[in-house]
Amino acid sequence: MSSTTGVGRTRARPGAFGFLTDTTLCIGCKACEVACKQWNQLPMDDFGFTGMSYDNTGDLGATTWRHVAFIERIADREGRRPARLQPFQSNWLMLSDVCKHCVNAGCMEACPTGAIIRTEFDTVVIQQDICNGCGYCVPACPFGVPALSPLDGKAHKCTLCYDRLRDGLEPACSKACPTDAIQFGPVHALLDRAKARVAELRAQGVEAHLYGDEALGGTGGIGGLNAFFILTAPPEVYNLPAKPELPQRRVLPGFLTSALAALVLGIATVLAFRREKEGHRA
Amino acid sequence: MPELRTWRHRRAPGEPVSAETRESYYGLPVIHGPHWRWPIVFYFVLGGLAGGSAVLAAAARLVGGDWARPIVRVGRYLAFLAMLPGPLLLIVDLGRPERFHHMLRVVKFRSPMSLGVWGLIGFTATAFLSLLRQAATDGLLGRANVVARLARRLPDRILAGASLVPAFFLAGYTGVLLGATAVPLWARNALRLGPLFLCSALSSAAAALSLLLGSRAETARARHAVERVERLALVGEIALLEAVRLGSGPVIGRPLAEGLAGGAFAGARASAMGALALHLLAAVSPRWLGRALRLVASLLALGGAFLLRSSIVFGGHRSAEDPDATFEFTRASR
Ligand code: SF4
Ligand code: SF4
Repeated sequence: MSSTTGVGRTRARPGAFGFLTDTTLCIGCKACEVACKQWNQLPMDDFGFTGMSYDNTGDLGATTWRHVAFIERIADREGRRPARLQPFQSNWLMLSDVCKHCVNAGCMEACPTGAIIRTEFDTVVIQQDICNGCGYCVPACPFGVPALSPLDGKAHKCTLCYDRLRDGLEPACSKACPTDAIQFGPVHALLDRAKARVAELRAQGVEAHLYGDEALGGTGGIGGLNAFFILTAPPEVYNLPAKPELPQRRVLPGFLTSALAALVLGIATVLAFRREKEGHRA
Repeated sequence: MPELRTWRHRRAPGEPVSAETRESYYGLPVIHGPHWRWPIVFYFVLGGLAGGSAVLAAAARLVGGDWARPIVRVGRYLAFLAMLPGPLLLIVDLGRPERFHHMLRVVKFRSPMSLGVWGLIGFTATAFLSLLRQAATDGLLGRANVVARLARRLPDRILAGASLVPAFFLAGYTGVLLGATAVPLWARNALRLGPLFLCSALSSAAAALSLLLGSRAETARARHAVERVERLALVGEIALLEAVRLGSGPVIGRPLAEGLAGGAFAGARASAMGALALHLLAAVSPRWLGRALRLVASLLALGGAFLLRSSIVFGGHRSAEDPDATFEFTRASR
């Protein structure tokens, strides 16, 4: 974590709503996955075993907008079995992953149809009547969230239950979560709660940190994540990139080097043609 | 039905499962890769060919004399023909092709795909007008009819100047588009892919033109001129291919060194170097041999453009699947 950015800093707009997912409270019941599928009427994924842990969902996808990761930490980084278990959760880490509703969202900036919008709740939603399935948002998300559905050819991801929010209800996943590991609310209030929780965990000797502020996760022009997480291991263990970057940061520099190359090639072409003229006059 | 997903483990045989969870989540991909496949590869190649031909035609019109007329003619026809399949390829690649016109709702300066749509429209317009003007000059439209008379009125030099910008844009924006994603291979090379695609566009267009100009004596000077451009563009292409290879590093650059995409990348490098070498050899060879060598060189340069786009597009797929590459790219503090 860089020392120049304070912990818990975000550029989230006032009035933004989001999630705080506290992995230390998660028991891996998958109620959020089920509630999300039910409310959003998402079709089932293929039945099958991943063969690596109790996680048989595997990944976020077009029909899976919450995904509970199960990480069995039998050995530490050096491959040693720990002599003492963490005080709270054996050595199972669980994280309910979801779209981060980035403050500056790569998916939204990439979308060439304007299908992806920012709502009045500062969440990021794909308008299904606009998306034409170009697929650019899919690799433009630094967290691997949206996916094209083979069922309808369009991109899908968590809407932060936009329909429920409009009706004054909280999202289905946080409503269903039995341990309050998923909490819904105004981003700035959640952030204060998260900072207090991290301090509390640290006082208990747990190496906790916040993923999704401007120091970790919401980095590189992303400006923070409206859905953020409390982690107790490096982000990579949860399949989260430590310091992702907003891909559109590279658009202007890319066009500038291309313009330079075009200029050089143009001059080279003109010179090559001019030499032909002189060469044959002589 | 959705396709069955397969889970690829990166664990070495005999290693415990727990080994995978030390640095990544069971070796599963961190990001989602693109779905772009062959239609997009062909679009990239043809877009480069069209853009490069338009550049050569415009430059020949602006600074070339009578000797350059064949470049203008063939370049303008080729630019238009190579552009024609482009929109079709892009549309069949959409998940919902019938909604292609939704691209025309917005202009977004930070989305290279949105800019690309408008750039393609601009290119089509200038390429079509150039085609009309050329067809009128060549007498293909007849003499006395309205279309022919209007087409002959088109300001030729202004048209050539105006077509330069969309031509360069079409040839290079696809590299910027790939760079503005989270795919580590593309993101790491965000500054190099645009220039690389531009060089490859110009070298492949020059190669195609030199083949189309043939070996007739009337077009000899024109062919010499485009071959000179081809050699210059090949030098740039070779340098940028090396920059991409070395700049990617061992982890992020893995897809360029292994597997089919790696083979294609090696093929692209070999073709570019081979084409340049054959051109240089042809310069010191007897006439009959030189002609054959130049022919092979141009074919190599064309094939190299195809291998280059395939290796970058499919290498991106491999790169997106590799958590090590994503983590290497995102670990660097910014
Ligand atoms: S996490 Fe990905 S899909 Fe969600 S808002 Fe951010 S960029 Fe978009
Ligand atoms: S797939 Fe749909 S939502 Fe995603 S970038 Fe394309 S049009 Fe936008």
